[in-house]
Amino acid sequence: MPVFRHPKVSGAARRIRAVLGLEAGVTRGALVERTGTDGRSAGGVAPENMIWIFGTGRTGSTWLAAMMEEPEGHDVWFEPRVGTIFDPQRFQRHGGKHFILASQYKDVWLRSIRNFILDGANARFPELDGGYLAVKEPGGSVGAGLIMEALPESGMVLLIRDPRDVVASWLDATRKGGWQTRRRGEGGRRAESLAETNPNAFVRRHADAYLQHVGSARRAYEAHEGRKVVVRYEDLRADTLGTIKRMYGELNVPVEEAKLVKAVEKHAWENIPEEEKGRGKFYRKATPEAWREDLTRRQVKTVERITAPLLEEFYPTGPAEQRG
Amino acid sequence: MLEENGGMRPENLVWVFGTARTGSSWLSAIMGEVGGYSRWHEPLVGHLFGNLYYERAGHRSEDAHFILGARYRELWLGTIRRFVLDSAAARFPGIAAKGGGYLIIKEPQGSMGAPLLMEALPESRMILLVRDPRDVVASNLDAHKGGTWTADLMRKGGKEKPPSLAESRPDAFVKGQARRYVRDVGNAKKAYDAHGGLKVLVRYEDLRTDTLQTMKRIYSELEMPVEEADLARSVEKHSWEKIPSEQKGEGKFHRKAKPGGWREDLTARQAEIVEGVAGSLLRELYPVRSTA
Repeated sequence: MPVFRHPKVSGAARRIRAVLGLEAGVTRGALVERTGTDGRSAGGVAPENMIWIFGTGRTGSTWLAAMMEEPEGHDVWFEPRVGTIFDPQRFQRHGGKHFILASQYKDVWLRSIRNFILDGANARFPELDGGYLAVKEPGGSVGAGLIMEALPESGMVLLIRDPRDVVASWLDATRKGGWQTRRRGEGGRRAESLAETNPNAFVRRHADAYLQHVGSARRAYEAHEGRKVVVRYEDLRADTLGTIKRMYGELNVPVEEAKLVKAVEKHAWENIPEEEKGRGKFYRKATPEAWREDLTRRQVKTVERITAPLLEEFYPTGPAEQRG
Repeated sequence: MLEENGGMRPENLVWVFGTARTGSSWLSAIMGEVGGYSRWHEPLVGHLFGNLYYERAGHRSEDAHFILGARYRELWLGTIRRFVLDSAAARFPGIAAKGGGYLIIKEPQGSMGAPLLMEALPESRMILLVRDPRDVVASNLDAHKGGTWTADLMRKGGKEKPPSLAESRPDAFVKGQARRYVRDVGNAKKAYDAHGGLKVLVRYEDLRTDTLQTMKRIYSELEMPVEEADLARSVEKHSWEKIPSEQKGEGKFHRKAKPGGWREDLTARQAEIVEGVAGSLLRELYPVRSTA
């Protein structure tokens, strides 16, 4: 019995809701249908129709998810954060057989993780019968490995962006008056001030976070034997339609090209109102390599040193100082 | 609550919440030794879910997309319930079998998630094990200095213990530990207050003063069967006096077992720090002993 339908909303409203993490009007009824004992979905969302987007924040995942939500029969689960629960690094020192995620009982708890996710998806998207559910989960990328292992039929998008631009974007967002600072303040939480008081330490911390999140997602991508694709933010910006078509092609998800064209157009940078864009706003620059203007030389070096393994793999043109 | 999946019965689970260094290893060792009882040593399932719910993303509880969002509370509590019961049944098949006895779950370091676990498993029994926060902090201060049992533990896991605040900035360490006490014991106390099932509050100090009598009270209040002779034997076996002298003392897992030992271990400033941070719980749990 359907108990909740995540309603489609217009682009602007969705973007605002997405940024602020608010829900739209929903209703709730009795208990939802649950997964069967074999771990398969009992209705609603099929695991093979789930597409997980991992990476890290500020890689364009909100933009990509907004486009993926547009075609009929497609929906987006916006940052469930389930990956944060199942972060294996958090429990590295608890390797004993008593630990709830002990390797000796992996088959048991992987099934539990699978049920946990499918129950959650079915409750939220009961009408998506046969449709596709993109799960925008950059903030839960630390748990990408276990999630993809629990749901091997699902598709995976590894969404990446130059770490220097990612860190520059966070630095802007978290400065006084930045959208992230305002959001934290509104939530009654301590507004992050390190970006103001010690920007170099802030840069170091966020470069570490990039390595942790994207590194985890990268390892999950490597291990995942199902459908998967790497998408670079820079390619999305340069040729949005071509990149999205490639993404769906590699994921083997049929989508009408006309629908994609419409989705790409609707969510194009050019269609975001000017007053919603700029410094301190969620939509800031969308300019690859803008880090050259945003970060100091020292900050660039810090990011390059910390994220070297990923930078070399995905952006193999050498450090900034060699490129002039 | 959702239907059971078979296997482990929730009423056969006995959760021990509190925080580290409250005597939970000792208590659970005594209970796990008695016939018909087994011990699950720190599954950390409370930490698994509690960390996201209370610390990492507590601000998102009203967001319908959040996996632990309020709108779907009943659903995910049911999933946590299955998660625990399936895991327990896999590890302790003898108890999962019909009439198989009780499972003592020592979970002090998962106490952050105690309210979620007890809400998911309302038929389960619960022990809230507490100890004077000043003694808890003093014990942790000793444990986290260089060359102590915590370093040995890490070495066994193939790692070297990094330098600790316990040595470089002891007052800051004390403050951090007092906060941890408030987080863990505070949430365990919330779970205890809300739990409608069988439960008992146990003070470490009472366990030290009269172990057998306190143990008998635990079994009585939790309505669990136990042979007094069995219990007395287990209490005797795990008594402080039976621990070899070379395994006891400063820097060891078995340190002092002395209520009020904080007076020798903490500076006046450090005692004040703990009382300032954990004062509310201290007054509630130790109404007569709340002042130095």
